[in-house]
Amino acid sequence: MQSNRQLIKDGTLAENLWLYLEDDAALSDTASIVSLQRLEDEADTLRARNAPLGVILRAGEKQGEDVRRLAPFLDMIQLVAIEFPVYRNGRGFSSARILREELKFDGEIRATGEVLFDQWQPMARCGINAFEVDASISLDQFNQAMGEFSQAYQPASDARRGLLWQRHGK
Amino acid sequence: MYRYDEFDHQLVAERVEQFRGQVARRVAGEITEDAFKPLRLMNGVYLQLHAYMLRVAIPYGTLSSKQMRMLAHLAREYDRGYGHFTTRQNIQYNWPALDRIPDLLQELASVEMHAIQTSGNCIRNVTSDQYAGAIADEVEDPRIISEIIRQWSTFHPEFSYLPRKFKIAVTGHKNDRAAIKLHDIGIVIVKNAAGEIGYEVHVGGGQGRTPFIAKKMSDFVPAAQLLAYLEAVMRVYNMLGRRDNSYKARIKILVHETGEEEMRRLVEAEFAKIDASQMLTVPQEEIDRIAAYFAPPALQELPAASASLDAARASDTAFDHWVTTNVVSHVKPGYGIVNISLKPIGGIPGDASDAQMDVIADLAETYAQDEVRVTHEQNLVLPHVKLDDLKTVYDTLLAHGLATPNLGMISDTIACPGLDYCNLANARSIPLAQEISNRFADLDRQYDIGELKIKISGCINACGHHHVGHIGILGVDKKGTEFYQISLGGSADENASLGDITGRAFTEDDIVDAIENLVASYVDLRQGGERFIDTYRRVGMQPFKERLYAE
Amino acid sequence: MAQHSAKGARFQAVTANRLTDGEVVYFTDAGHWSLSFSEAAIADGAEAAEALLAGAMPADFEAHVLDPYLFEVLQDAQTGYQPASVRETIRAKGPTIRLDLGKQAIAS
Ligand code: HEM
Ligand code: SF4
Repeated sequence: MQSNRQLIKDGTLAENLWLYLEDDAALSDTASIVSLQRLEDEADTLRARNAPLGVILRAGEKQGEDVRRLAPFLDMIQLVAIEFPVYRNGRGFSSARILREELKFDGEIRATGEVLFDQWQPMARCGINAFEVDASISLDQFNQAMGEFSQAYQPASDARRGLLWQRHGK
Repeated sequence: MYRYDEFDHQLVAERVEQFRGQVARRVAGEITEDAFKPLRLMNGVYLQLHAYMLRVAIPYGTLSSKQMRMLAHLAREYDRGYGHFTTRQNIQYNWPALDRIPDLLQELASVEMHAIQTSGNCIRNVTSDQYAGAIADEVEDPRIISEIIRQWSTFHPEFSYLPRKFKIAVTGHKNDRAAIKLHDIGIVIVKNAAGEIGYEVHVGGGQGRTPFIAKKMSDFVPAAQLLAYLEAVMRVYNMLGRRDNSYKARIKILVHETGEEEMRRLVEAEFAKIDASQMLTVPQEEIDRIAAYFAPPALQELPAASASLDAARASDTAFDHWVTTNVVSHVKPGYGIVNISLKPIGGIPGDASDAQMDVIADLAETYAQDEVRVTHEQNLVLPHVKLDDLKTVYDTLLAHGLATPNLGMISDTIACPGLDYCNLANARSIPLAQEISNRFADLDRQYDIGELKIKISGCINACGHHHVGHIGILGVDKKGTEFYQISLGGSADENASLGDITGRAFTEDDIVDAIENLVASYVDLRQGGERFIDTYRRVGMQPFKERLYAE
Repeated sequence: MAQHSAKGARFQAVTANRLTDGEVVYFTDAGHWSLSFSEAAIADGAEAAEALLAGAMPADFEAHVLDPYLFEVLQDAQTGYQPASVRETIRAKGPTIRLDLGKQAIAS
């Protein structure tokens, strides 16, 4: 995590216990986030290791990394960091939903990269529950942004059902 | 018409407050333009050449008289007394001050309107057939499903940062008036052999730098599954669409590069997964609730013909012409669909003054079941007018410069704002439309030429639909001077086609003569009742080209 | 951007849009922003132009104006300086189709 960032997880400030590991860096007993490629290449070694494991999903420009490649490894990872390289690149919104709704991942999904104020709430709706945000942001500001819209029209990964359903108690 | 419930109101109000805060932070210098720009764009605020421009959504082009009056009021209070109706069935204001836009939006919200998702890389305003609910042989009123799509797509958490903008159009009629094949998704409402309603879905149409006609992805998506299907298309696009080059980011490029078959396979696979959850199956009660808002208005039982209309037509030739060109048969006997041309001879296509908007609102309230429609050809429609009332309506329109009898004629031009307003423009569009209109001002001549759709864009972004004009005109820039390139044979209807470029571009001084030459070629070549487009399709480019470039 | 390039131009001026209302403004010799092209500082030569643009971009420029840029200006014996491109002429005056709007309207 970048030094000017803080972690907000499940609505409160949280200590970041995770280390982003470069592909050529040695494995250790620290909770580590590796690349998707490394996860695939070194799955056996990583499985044998006795410390929490996370993976980062890169959004890419022309192409992004396919979240479904995580399917065979879900039992061994506790965290997926989804990269938002620039605010415009919204691939990660789909990755998060697929992870929660289709792959039924229930660990931490963390947004990392360039994220605008107004993107936290939709991210949360897509199943992201941890945010690396600028250190200058107060928890109040964060929670205010998270509550900017009290209703939603459509269902997503969160508990909101969507007005088209809610109006009829569905 | 759809009416907001408390939740709709609340969401729009929350959005206005959100934007008010953003503007305040920007004006106070607390956020940079880089951070602010995407936020203002998400609220329909662009910067043009002379001022900001605000684009207000008119969902599926339907307005009540109260809403139309509000648009007039906003033009008066926040702008310079006019608005511009666009090919996306929206209205644009060209001069609002940034710091007053939150107030404007708040007033707009009081009549259940907004500027949400009229810009940015999200799902834009859903457009539809301007004759919805009024035309014979409609499978279903397209506004019902359009409204459902509008709600589903509003603040969609997954699809607000797509690779590029995304436009959806719906038609419920075999005659496509919504240009659905030129949209990212085009939907045709159909009935299957069992008599069930469903949706034919076309994907990957679009104009801009690389135009494509959409490919048919599905012949029949059952009604209950449409949102799941749309979500599948959107998800495939959001995951695989290119983000490395904004000119290659539209779904049309993805479909083209992936191939139609593979795209269909990807969509079907995604659809199967999403649909399995049943999460997006809209409850029948909700569909019924929304459909009730679009129930046919309580029209009277009237004879099919109107004696007073016939008498008025017989005694007033100009009125007679107007009825012939601008009034379309209504599904209900004794009624007509009135097209209000926003293309006065020599005027600015799509512009309406505040006073004109007020007049149209009054007419809608008194004579047209309180409804006005906006067409993608930049005209307005009064959808349900008694034949007995046509003369009164006409007289009022005439008195306000709104009765030009030129629907579908050569002077009914589409033109984008072009270099008179637009920051991206290469050349002006509006003056060309005016010059062409003036050159062909004589109505008898226009009627002799018949249906001829000229569409003009000031740059390759193609906001003026030049690719699908029977005659398309594209402004190009050569060292700070305007030039115009012509294409022929485009069409935006159910037989959609893209135009072919004729060759070297023309100067502003020569372009109207060039159009005159093309028209002359057509008049010489046409057979029987052929329209310009029919003749072009039969004889091809060569004869037109020869005359166009003859020394 | 179309019609935006001033490459190879001899005379150039700096323009931008005002933050609050988007009005076209020009950078003056006095180091202010003016609503009128007639008050624009004219740079002769590429170096002077770069210096002018740099001067128009103080750290807090963002608080007042958006995206300052250089554009080509031509010298005319009768009328003094004029914007070279159609685009900049329209920005300096207003829409050519509505002479009652924009700067040209205030002028007349
Ligand atoms: C200042 C105002 C405007 C700006 C900056 C603007 C910008 C753009 C851009 C950049 C595109 C190309 C998008 C792409 O190909 O990915 C586009 C397309 C389009 N715009 Fe505009 N536009 C403006 C005004 C309008 C107006 C007034 C209309 C309606 C008359 C309009 C309707 C459209 C349509 C129909 C398209 C084509 C959609 C397609 O490519 O499929 N725009 N616009
Ligand atoms: S086609 Fe080009 S000039 Fe015309 S409005 Fe669109 S972006 Fe502007």
